[in-house]
Amino acid sequence: MKSSLPKVLMLGWEFPPVINGGLGVACHDLSSAMSEIADITMVVPKTSPGFKMKNMNLVGINNIDVNTFDHHPVEGASLPYKIHNVRADINPYYSTNIEGYSVEGGGSSTASYGTTDRERLQAFNIDSLYGGDVIQKVMQYADITASLASKMDFDVIHAHDWMTMLAGIKIKEQTGKPLVMHIHSLEVDRSGPDNRGWVYQLEKKGMEIADLLLPVSQFTANIISQHYGIDSGKMKVVHNGSMPVNAFKSKRRFKEKTVLFVGRLTRQKGPEKFLEIAARVLQKDPDVRFVMAGVGDYFKSVLERSSYTGIGNRFHMTGFLDQEKLRYLFSVSDVYCMPSISEPFGLSAVEAAHFGVPCVISKQSGVSEVLNGALKFDFWDDNKAAGYILNLLHDKTLRNKVIEDASENLKDITWDISARKIVNAYAEKQFI
Amino acid sequence: MPSICFYFQVHQPFRIKNYSFFDIGHSHEYEDEAKNQQIMNKVADKCYIKTNNKMLDLIHRHKGNFRISYSISGTAIEQFEKYRPDVLQSFIDLANTGCVEFLAETYSHSLSFIFSKPEFERQVSKHAAMIKKYFNQVPKVFRNTELIFNNELAAHIDGMGYKGIICEGADRLLNGRTPNYLYNTVNGKKIKLLLKNHRLSDDIAFRFSDRGWKEFPLTVDKYKKWVYDVAGNGETINLFMDYETFGEHQWESTGIFDFLDHLPGAIMEHPDFDFKTPSEVVDSYPTRDTYDVHEFCSWADTERDLSAWLSNSMQSESFKRIYAIESDIKEINDPKLTNVWERLQTSDHFYYMCTKFWNDGDVHKYFSPFETPYDAYMFYMNVYSDLECIVKRKLKKVRAPKIAKAKTIRLQANDGKAIGEHPALTS
Repeated sequence: MKSSLPKVLMLGWEFPPVINGGLGVACHDLSSAMSEIADITMVVPKTSPGFKMKNMNLVGINNIDVNTFDHHPVEGASLPYKIHNVRADINPYYSTNIEGYSVEGGGSSTASYGTTDRERLQAFNIDSLYGGDVIQKVMQYADITASLASKMDFDVIHAHDWMTMLAGIKIKEQTGKPLVMHIHSLEVDRSGPDNRGWVYQLEKKGMEIADLLLPVSQFTANIISQHYGIDSGKMKVVHNGSMPVNAFKSKRRFKEKTVLFVGRLTRQKGPEKFLEIAARVLQKDPDVRFVMAGVGDYFKSVLERSSYTGIGNRFHMTGFLDQEKLRYLFSVSDVYCMPSISEPFGLSAVEAAHFGVPCVISKQSGVSEVLNGALKFDFWDDNKAAGYILNLLHDKTLRNKVIEDASENLKDITWDISARKIVNAYAEKQFI
Repeated sequence: MPSICFYFQVHQPFRIKNYSFFDIGHSHEYEDEAKNQQIMNKVADKCYIKTNNKMLDLIHRHKGNFRISYSISGTAIEQFEKYRPDVLQSFIDLANTGCVEFLAETYSHSLSFIFSKPEFERQVSKHAAMIKKYFNQVPKVFRNTELIFNNELAAHIDGMGYKGIICEGADRLLNGRTPNYLYNTVNGKKIKLLLKNHRLSDDIAFRFSDRGWKEFPLTVDKYKKWVYDVAGNGETINLFMDYETFGEHQWESTGIFDFLDHLPGAIMEHPDFDFKTPSEVVDSYPTRDTYDVHEFCSWADTERDLSAWLSNSMQSESFKRIYAIESDIKEINDPKLTNVWERLQTSDHFYYMCTKFWNDGDVHKYFSPFETPYDAYMFYMNVYSDLECIVKRKLKKVRAPKIAKAKTIRLQANDGKAIGEHPALTS
């Protein structure tokens, strides 16, 4: 039965148990949904030996037996190698280092899978062996994956984000198989439209060579055409899905209503916007608490601004939180606010919706295309966002309506639907 | 005949714990009991017990001619009561010699003078009552937290009936004059000012073990000569420092206790020099000039101003918040709650939030129980938020009975039958 399914070689970077943010979760959830209708081999830099996926062949480069590995150097990249853990110990979604805070992740769908000091140390050993920079790792990954691919049978190469693009390009050149690129996040989102560094160049080249692009939203598709000059004809928008959530409600431990922000405190996520919105809401209603969960390079400046603005008693920054604490926060919140400046999707809003928390989200987000049960504003319009929050806090009818509509939308935000769209897209393009 | 006037500051704050957002409304334990106890034990063993024994010995040895003074904050005394009553007893023993004066200060070592005069006065009188209770003295000389001082404070303290006040002899305010005389304040107030001789004080407190200092090592003979140099140009040499200098900031291995052991005898070899407590200095000497201080000065950091506690927005925000609930706290009038609020006024909490770095930042970091000033601020504001919830709840209760107590008028018909009841609100 399974042999008749389309064979997909997936190239991932973050994958449980080694994840830093939403990408790892999305790759995991999507590939498990796709494994029902496709034969998937997923190659990632690192997995733990005990970690298995149903219906799926998961290859962690760190777990390959060195002796059985038949190495075919590609394009003269000959290394007398031993296979070590190629650990993604860079964090491609933080733009700068975070002083004073050691961070594993931070984001709604972020899980923290602890690594011991010993493992960390090993990762640094590897750094010294291969060179510690990211591009080195990306090249290493490309090289090893291309060698593995030469012995595999597949119909489609499916790469996720820029870290795996080089590998995708190599395998396409080597095998002539069609290359699909799934775009979860772009350098333009993370660093702003003026950034034209090497990551941007890699993304642009990769997307030019790819045969099919799968942006996670129309918003991202537009960025791809506007900022990378790619023809929209080879794009097919596939919105993210979401896993069913065991949602619950908890009783707040204080009287004030609570507005929540969850995400990395980076420019892209608009943490300063959240602060400005909070200040506006508090002018009208002082009995609201604003909670900002996450860490990032904006942490200190936002904290200082919250005190400068004089809302220190109503603006709470929690730092990094584990899943349990995040879920608790969702369960006590009255409004979820996502003021992202450029958000390819925004799974955290979907998670909030699962918890029955009405969302106020920026229009500059992918999730706003699928979550109609949400109030939407342009990220620069904090006046409007503040108004929405006040309305949701005080107008029960509006509140219930938004929650009700969102729960309707959730029925259509599933990974099964995303998976089917993808396989259909393969077929339309006659890859399978 | 110049006098040496020693005043030692004894203070320990109730440090707050890493109180997270999730504790708000859930846990009302704000303080890091374990850490407070541990630090108290450490300082008691390294400094308080040892130095008190030394002082007692010196007083006996010099037959009452060695005289000193202390200012002990209320929070420090509470920690002695709680963790180290033996330390408290050794201070009482010192008080019983009659050679030791205890000064007045704010109970929780707070900056209340800047933010609320009524709270300031409440804390000063609470502190005085405690001094009376343990040491059987009524303080006559006042010292404000970290020697924070200006003309307004002097006038206020004068109005409260004190005869002297301890302050920093800041170079920029002395303008070339010596700190070794008593000064008066402006506007004809009677109160006399004792100015810290910061050079001679800090030689002991900060530079004693500094190997990079050109005068290292500091010997009793050398120090004695510097003191004698004052002869003819001063009447009181005010050596003011943290008591923890002995054994804590300057470890025993630096020889600080030996230095202390020999210093009084060496100085008194010169018949013109003696030791006096601040009150005795005030009674013995006239003022020689005016010390005119418009803006606050203090003994902290190189700036000697308020910047250690009030130079960034996190500090001003938390100060603003804690004093904003003063009227509510006083209306509720619950001694336990007032105590919690009072402890949150302790200046150390704000000192930990200081983001000035370089040399002084190191000092801030040394004393801070927190990793960063940002942590200090966040945990403080979380604690504040919980306190605010309690205050709101209690305020409601306090106000509620007033309405419930309102008289009820029963309406009666001609035949005496009740027709109804209506509450009559009294004003």
